[in-house]
Amino acid sequence: MTVRIPCPTCGERPHTEFTFGGQARPHAADDTEADFARVFLPDNDPGSARERWFHTMGCRTWFELTRDATTNRIG
Amino acid sequence: MTRGTLRFEGRGIPVEDGDTVASALFRAGVRTFSRSLKSRRRRGLYCGTGECPNCTVTVDDLPGVRSCVTPAEAGMRVERGRGWPSAEHDLLHVTDLMHPLMPVGFYMKTFVRPRFAWPAAERLIRRATGSGRLPEGREPSRTIVRHAHVDALVVGAGAAGLSAALESARASERVLLCDAFPIGSQVAPGPALDALHAHEAEVRAEPAIEVLDGHAALGVYDGPTVAVASAGELVQVHPRRIVLATGATEMHEAFPGNDLPGVWLGRAASRMAARHGVSIGARLVVVASTDEGLEHLGTLVAAGANVTAAVVPAAFVDGVPPSAEAIVDGELVSARGPGRVRSVIVRERGQERRLPCDALVLSTGLAPRDELVRMAPGEPIELVGDAALAGDVPRVAGGYICLCEDVSAHDAEQAWAEGFRSAEILKRYTTATMGPCRGAMCGRALAAFAAARSDQTDRGAPGRTTARPPSRPVALETLAASVHEVIEKRTSLHETHLAAGAELGWSGGWKRPFAYGDPKDEYAAVRERAGLMDVGTLGTFLIAGRDAPALVDRVFPTRVADLAPGRSRYVLALDEAGYVADDGVLCAFGDGSYLLTSTTGGAERMDARLREWTHRLGLHVHLLDRTSELGAILVAGPRARDLLEPLSDDALGTDALPHAAHGEVTVAGIPCTAIRTGFVGELGFELHHPRSRGPELWSALMRSGEAFGVRAFGLDALELLRLEKGHLYVGQDTMPDDTPAKLGLDRAVDTSKEWFVGKAALERLAAIPLGRRLAGLTFESGPPDAAELRGTPVFAGGEIVGRVTSAATSPTLGRSIGLAWIRTAEGELPADGLRAGDALATVAPTPFYDPDGERLRG
Repeated sequence: MTVRIPCPTCGERPHTEFTFGGQARPHAADDTEADFARVFLPDNDPGSARERWFHTMGCRTWFELTRDATTNRIG
Repeated sequence: MTRGTLRFEGRGIPVEDGDTVASALFRAGVRTFSRSLKSRRRRGLYCGTGECPNCTVTVDDLPGVRSCVTPAEAGMRVERGRGWPSAEHDLLHVTDLMHPLMPVGFYMKTFVRPRFAWPAAERLIRRATGSGRLPEGREPSRTIVRHAHVDALVVGAGAAGLSAALESARASERVLLCDAFPIGSQVAPGPALDALHAHEAEVRAEPAIEVLDGHAALGVYDGPTVAVASAGELVQVHPRRIVLATGATEMHEAFPGNDLPGVWLGRAASRMAARHGVSIGARLVVVASTDEGLEHLGTLVAAGANVTAAVVPAAFVDGVPPSAEAIVDGELVSARGPGRVRSVIVRERGQERRLPCDALVLSTGLAPRDELVRMAPGEPIELVGDAALAGDVPRVAGGYICLCEDVSAHDAEQAWAEGFRSAEILKRYTTATMGPCRGAMCGRALAAFAAARSDQTDRGAPGRTTARPPSRPVALETLAASVHEVIEKRTSLHETHLAAGAELGWSGGWKRPFAYGDPKDEYAAVRERAGLMDVGTLGTFLIAGRDAPALVDRVFPTRVADLAPGRSRYVLALDEAGYVADDGVLCAFGDGSYLLTSTTGGAERMDARLREWTHRLGLHVHLLDRTSELGAILVAGPRARDLLEPLSDDALGTDALPHAAHGEVTVAGIPCTAIRTGFVGELGFELHHPRSRGPELWSALMRSGEAFGVRAFGLDALELLRLEKGHLYVGQDTMPDDTPAKLGLDRAVDTSKEWFVGKAALERLAAIPLGRRLAGLTFESGPPDAAELRGTPVFAGGEIVGRVTSAATSPTLGRSIGLAWIRTAEGELPADGLRAGDALATVAPTPFYDPDGERLRG
């Protein structure tokens, strides 16, 4: 239920204070087809991935972290 | 000493000091406490420790109360839940006789065909099941939700738990100690209880320990997080480690007649005798094969109970009082009814003997309460005390495995024969362990049943099923606690609106006026004279810093680079898929900074979006959310300027402040940012002001407008005003995958820009024909108030081709209008032949009112 997210400003806080921003990805792709894959086809692999998080109920900072989607281990 | 009476099904029952509801009822002669779920078998007091379902009754209209752990109070109203016409004489008991005809999976097997019969059968079954009626019209209680961060959470405040908590605190840890019941309430008076209370005093004196008695640990989740709840509080505990000192229950064994009233676990029997001074029967048979069982035997005899026989292992023979016959190494075969225990059959040296009795007391093993660790195997959980025991393996030789769900050993045999051959799938198929005891009674019996039949040699842990929360029964209102955590946002004019008789409602997290009496009158004031609206709920953001122009250029698809200082523009916000996510008005200042207003409901998301793209694009931007710091009042209508001019020395004419311009002005001595907007389609000034001065500004504007017949207007009037202009609400009139083209908002997209969020997606989508479009509709021969049409499907011939998203009847236009999304054929909207409900609908160009926008330029 509660994964603790390390916010660069506020330190470790319960994940309920955060909004998940999806897998980290570049903001643009080479062409429109690649852009479709960029937006709609995230890897969704089990295991570690870079993710974007937003500290909604705190300092309202966006940051990236590495989380293992299977174990919820961060870092 | 008697402390008054409680009402039990219409009669008065005396309550003695220290009574539980169960002990008071039992003393007064109640033997059948409940009827079982399916077979309606009589059930009496059994575990006495708040685990099994047998003693559940309805107390003061609240069903499902475990009477054995609920202190009795004078004046309580107690009823038995199940049973028709009563629990004592339950005609539905015939289902017990039909049990052989109702095998496991009966519903699934029987009510499949014919399909049409199922709804009727379901109604009958639903009426016949359940454990009482929920009270109606009761005020929901407010459960407080809080978080607790500690080093150690100790669950269970018995001797082991108290020791663990003290030890942890003395190692400089912060400790939370919880127990489902008041400390010591499960222990009979005597030296053990005195020692426990002394121990408790030590714990309570320790400042590093927070004690939450009467709080049950419901479940262990990732993190770990443990949900701990009492009737009025839900605590989410975030410990570094968890110590389970949950103890053990006495083992539930399955043998014929094991669920008859009169079969007692040792703890219940000795507590009833020693603590409440209640005789549980005239002739008792005790089966004791644990040390604890021998103690219970002694307790019962000391309390004066007539124990006629004790079935004990050879080692315990010396402990059997002379008044009772010791049956050494005997085996309990069955308990016999009918209706309650009248005799038991015991096998002694191969011979079966019938022992007449009216109470059978069982202490044959311990079952550790380990469900919290079986819920979360990967978490840092340590078991101490009785909870750490391996536990005993119960016998399954007939009778009922699961009391809550009425699953007999025979049912389990049948399920096994059907191929459900492990404890996990037996559980799912038979629902054994899924009732209110959460497997505390039956879990081990089910595991033993499966283990005995499978090839597994290990009959311990592998056969146990995974435990799932909640580990103890919990009220839905406790689980729904956060639902009541409502943050009501109010503008500074809240009291002003209330004083004016406004009807307030929810809108985007705020309480806002919908109407001040007559929305039609409010509407007319705006169209003909002037109206005031509190728009302090709009999101307001200051965007500044070196890269502010770059940010707004890239976040919004709209052209903004040419936005001159002092000018404002309607902007869209797209997501990366090219879908319209929000809209707003962007105002440029001369120094490269901007003021952005966004929709009330979208303000939080707009803030997150601006910050997201600042971060992702690596820009240097200062973003200040001024939403709660600024109030805003919209002054709109043909006389808006006439109303404002007496209050201000600043130039408010079309030269100084034309449509789509903004400027700093002082109104009634209050500094305001005035934005010329036209959402309602009339001359309009949005006055953004320091929040604290809202009421002052409002009353000055009201006074000044008196001569013109100014009115305050709410969201109901606004709905019609904006609809006449064809302005859409993002969210109400849009769908999650609407592109600007589908909404007819291409003018707010500048495809010549090098890049903006969603641009690549729009380019890709441009090659695909539009599947639907948002279009204006006019309605004929529909309902007198077209607002009824909102949400109705749009038909072309017999086919649904769209849905009305907004509709209203316009007094000014003299007809009914609306917005709808409509499916296109080869990119074109159907010209006519549309219907919505009873109304004929025709596609019409928007705006419906003042298409050239002359009025708002005023």
